Amino acid sequence: MLRVLLVNDTAKPIGELRDALEHAGYAVIAEVDGAAALLHAVETQRPDVVIIDTESPSRDTLEQLAVMGHAAPRPVVMFADRSEPQAIRDAVGAGVTAYVVDHVGADRLAPIIEVALARFEEEARLKKRLANAEQQLADRKLIDRAKGVLMDKRGLSEAEAYATLREQAMKQGSRIADVARQLIAMAELLG
Amino acid sequence: MSHLYESLPGYRITGSDAPEKTVLKLGFVPLSDCAPLVAAKVLDLGRAHGIEIELYRQPSWAAVRDKLISGELDAAHALYGLVYGVELGIGGPQADMAVLMTLNQNGQAITLSNRLADALQAGRGLRELLAAGTRRPVFAQTFPTGTHAMWLYYWLAAQGIHPLADVKPVVIPPPQMSDALASGVLDGYCAGEPWHAVAEAEGHGRTVIRSGEIWPDHPEKVLACRRDFVARHPNAARALTMTLLEACRWLDDLEHRREAAGWLSGPGYVGRASQLIMPRLLGDYGRLGDTAPLMRFFGGGSVNYPYLSDGLWFLSQYRRWGLLSQQVDMAAVVRAVNQTALYDEAASALGVLQPASPMRSSTLIDDRGWDGSDPQGYADGFEIRADAGVGGIGDGRR
Repeated sequence: MLRVLLVNDTAKPIGELRDALEHAGYAVIAEVDGAAALLHAVETQRPDVVIIDTESPSRDTLEQLAVMGHAAPRPVVMFADRSEPQAIRDAVGAGVTAYVVDHVGADRLAPIIEVALARFEEEARLKKRLANAEQQLADRKLIDRAKGVLMDKRGLSEAEAYATLREQAMKQGSRIADVARQLIAMAELLG
Repeated sequence: MSHLYESLPGYRITGSDAPEKTVLKLGFVPLSDCAPLVAAKVLDLGRAHGIEIELYRQPSWAAVRDKLISGELDAAHALYGLVYGVELGIGGPQADMAVLMTLNQNGQAITLSNRLADALQAGRGLRELLAAGTRRPVFAQTFPTGTHAMWLYYWLAAQGIHPLADVKPVVIPPPQMSDALASGVLDGYCAGEPWHAVAEAEGHGRTVIRSGEIWPDHPEKVLACRRDFVARHPNAARALTMTLLEACRWLDDLEHRREAAGWLSGPGYVGRASQLIMPRLLGDYGRLGDTAPLMRFFGGGSVNYPYLSDGLWFLSQYRRWGLLSQQVDMAAVVRAVNQTALYDEAASALGVLQPASPMRSSTLIDDRGWDGSDPQGYADGFEIRADAGVGGIGDGRR
């Protein structure tokens, strides 16, 4: 079983990979948060693979180990290998870099990277979904305020106010929330 | 049709020296010597040369390297040795690289733990001190083929200490160095500023030597890019060189350096208090005095010329430390990397004087002379090398 070390020293929740990797059958032997802890873990726990955020400041620490090639496993920069599979290039693009020991072939590394990739893609999707939800909430508030303006100024019922907004949006070819924003701005301008 | 010809590598039409690319993305690492890039940006020095500079702070030298190779960055503030490490594919990806100019000389240092600094100050030799320790001493630098690694190794070896055998050479990100000293896992380090001033201010270690004492006026950071960037954008590369040359000239004035220290302290750049950056940028090292060659950015252009002998020195040290085992034509490598012709054009256009020779002579801390004439012989002449001089101290503690 490949022994994986996670470096968790940036804002990216790389530590959350632990569950996913363990679920996929890998042994996550440690999670470290700085260069000194990383050096200690590499020396004492001898990981086969180190997964690290591309933007981690600890990457240079692994570069040195790769060049020195003693004291511990010999991590190799996967990015270096021109024959690397697309999955690894994608991983680098997604912000993960893997340093692996010599004897770990790209074929064995690829599934780990895929797990990492999937985890980060899910992260991105969750963030997007959250952003969408927030946008919807903000839109709803705007529309409610605009309905209030119409009900107040024109004596419309709530249903009539909403119908008016919707009709205007269709006429303009814009979103109801945008029409609501215009209406509120106009109402503020005119008092 | 002229625009078609302009896009051909190396082709220039008289009267049309316009940069092929006008917005250039530059990487830098938060260090005091990224000042030329920051000055160029803040003063908008690129405008006169038809370019706009965008600066991107990088968390590691590995990130600088990867982004130069991927094209995410057009050029960067880089360790001299990083460029040659990538050119030769040492411990990482290979790419054909270019040094456009040297950005600074000197200004780096070595800090030791308080315990070692005290003993050294009391007159004891470092070799003896390290041999007396209970564990193998740990010394840090910043990148395996970088300048700090080479200054550290040279300095240790000059004292009879084998940097690869008698001590454990590791890399720790400079902002973590002070804490590593405090926790006792680290005995000393070589890095850029302000990370020595920070360790002193935090009381975790003391600066014992400045890099200008190891090699007076050594080359340090360079303006680096991929070689094909120069081939495809010769005008942009020249405009960028001129822009940074003007920034370096501007920084020669100490009043300007004071101003730059304020900019560097901003959160987007180094993000440390100006009082940690400014004194040493101005050459004030307190108790250490002003006896060492200090940070130089311009010196009438003598700093910036991409001397071939400087590149050859790094190759000689890679040989010495076993980082470069394959046979290479060292002179050919250096001529390909160091863009002396492009630099000549940029310097001439600004009226900046150029040296009479692409080689220069120096005497390093061990009294050995270096003039670039025989890099292999120079490398072989050291008693302490990767394959020799092992076992002086620390037997049985490896």
